[in-house]
Amino acid sequence: MSANFAKGDSPLFGILVGAAMVVLTIATTHTSTQSGATATVAGSAAHGKVVYDRHCVECHGKNGKGDGPASPLLTPRPRDFTSGKYKIRTTETSNVPTDEDLIRSVSQGLYGSAMPGWAGLLSDTDIRDVVAYLETMTPRFVNEPPTRVTPGAAIPESPESVSRGRLVYEKLQCRSCHGVDGRGTAAIATDFEDDWKQPLRAADLTEPWTFHGGATARDVYFRFRTGMSGTPMPSFAGTATDAEMWDLANYVLSLARKPVWSMTAPEVADLYAREAAEARRDPVKRGRYLVDTHLCAICHSPIDENGRIVDGMYMAGGQLIRVVPFGDYPTANLTSDKETGLGNWTDDQLKQAITRGILRDGTRLPPYPMDWGAFSAMTPDDLNAVIAYLRTIPAVSNKVPPPARPFLPMYLWGKFKMLILGSDPPVVIYPGNVGASGGR
Amino acid sequence: MKRWLKRAAITIIVLLIVGFGAFLYFIPPFFVSSPETFSKPQNDAAPGVSDIADPAQRAIAERGRYLVVTGGCIGCHQTPTPQGPDYARYLAGGAQFHNREGTFVTRNLTPDKTTGLARRSDEEVLRVLRSGVMPDGRVTSYRLMPWGSYTNWTDEDRHAVLVYLRHLKPIVHQIPDPSPPAPLADPLAVETVYAGKDYGTAAK
Repeated sequence: MSANFAKGDSPLFGILVGAAMVVLTIATTHTSTQSGATATVAGSAAHGKVVYDRHCVECHGKNGKGDGPASPLLTPRPRDFTSGKYKIRTTETSNVPTDEDLIRSVSQGLYGSAMPGWAGLLSDTDIRDVVAYLETMTPRFVNEPPTRVTPGAAIPESPESVSRGRLVYEKLQCRSCHGVDGRGTAAIATDFEDDWKQPLRAADLTEPWTFHGGATARDVYFRFRTGMSGTPMPSFAGTATDAEMWDLANYVLSLARKPVWSMTAPEVADLYAREAAEARRDPVKRGRYLVDTHLCAICHSPIDENGRIVDGMYMAGGQLIRVVPFGDYPTANLTSDKETGLGNWTDDQLKQAITRGILRDGTRLPPYPMDWGAFSAMTPDDLNAVIAYLRTIPAVSNKVPPPARPFLPMYLWGKFKMLILGSDPPVVIYPGNVGASGGR
Repeated sequence: MKRWLKRAAITIIVLLIVGFGAFLYFIPPFFVSSPETFSKPQNDAAPGVSDIADPAQRAIAERGRYLVVTGGCIGCHQTPTPQGPDYARYLAGGAQFHNREGTFVTRNLTPDKTTGLARRSDEEVLRVLRSGVMPDGRVTSYRLMPWGSYTNWTDEDRHAVLVYLRHLKPIVHQIPDPSPPAPLADPLAVETVYAGKDYGTAAK
């Protein structure tokens, strides 16, 4: 607790804030016993900002808009705190969350997303203060104090409850998004967007370890009861009775499969065989997974001064990478644009570039930073899937100049320094876009 | 006779200069050798998993090996030498990255007890891959350690990567802690990478 304080503030400040915390904590506990719900700012928002600036900006951005440098790569996107819309709550439909809700989300993280649990990394005071700071980012916490939901009596898990829950699953049409089996099979709606027009997946109900808000019956109950603000997941308060929602929670948890870390060898083999079969059925989905996990967009998109991918330029290329002394390698436009992207490349030409670093005009790429050596180890199915997905990326016109070798004497001088004088030449990465749409 | 000698000497000198120029031009032979000259040793260097006794762990580690190889971990976590990566020290780290926040040397990912990942819990390793948060709470740029991509792995695939990393041969290779920002080679750059020599310290 004091260790984290010591990083940025004087110990005296820490003690003062700590003392203020104790007073405020007592005050909040007192009021909450009276009103049942609180949205009071219980921590020091000023110290919260210090914690926020150190730990949260990379994803949530300087102003809390969920637009930090890493944000364009993440699904789901980081929360936009200025909207006051929160998924994981124990408060009425579209209310803001309670302090406790936010403290819990920060402490345990959001499973199935990039948000880690900060308990153990930050002190309780740090977490409480950062929550206080988040609550200053929208007037909603002051203007619209939340009403906490009081859940009805929990229904313990039993075969009867599960089979009743199954009927509720049908009645509430859960299958239209989550599928007949909880993992999307025969779902009617498959491509979702959140309120910020970002792509979203319906939760795979057979993988409870990915449930953002946790996987106890109580956690799952609250997702039905309160809805998940900002997403298509509605609140079923009013549509279903409290008992029905508890039964549904038990049913959803009964769909769980074993995670790979608890499996026996035949189960692992089954899982991997099933994944391979699904990849063959839907190569675009598999290709998207591979592209998202293989760094492509990190270099093949223009970035701003903070290293954030420029909006609307995903995979449009144009980042300048200077490989001293070998030359300039602007990253290629990988969108399906016919003129400036991959639209007119054949599958074979793409495979030569991805796995051997040979462009269609015969230009050779050095073994770094384009990692064709690593990609050459991909299975043929995976390589085809990557290409299938690349073909679906919306076209963005951005004419990127071809790789350029330096002036010959400079090149030889660079090589001389590297090979004879033993200098360690750098790879230099520049922000901006050397492509035709938008200068550096 | 004298003239002949002079001509021969000039020819030899010209040949030497041209030869030296050609040597500088073609070495390393990125643009003339077959691409497999570079990719095959890199990919073959990843140790196999056939020695894992438990069949479930073996299958998971095999998946992890595939993810580690195609994910390109060795690109940054190599131990560089002036002649190229030292594949005998697979994933022992030592390349250097500069950005405006500091100077960072890629970590030793082998399960060594004093300098490698054996010091880190499963949770700590998975948290770096999923969130870019180091064991001390420091958040690393998605552009240094590309966790912005690895966060998109399923939890099960990340687990497979962990199982494979735990199975690597432990190598003693001390990596220095991050240091304050040093001037970038070019102030307009966002980052600069040096991978021509080892910035870590090997076992004495």
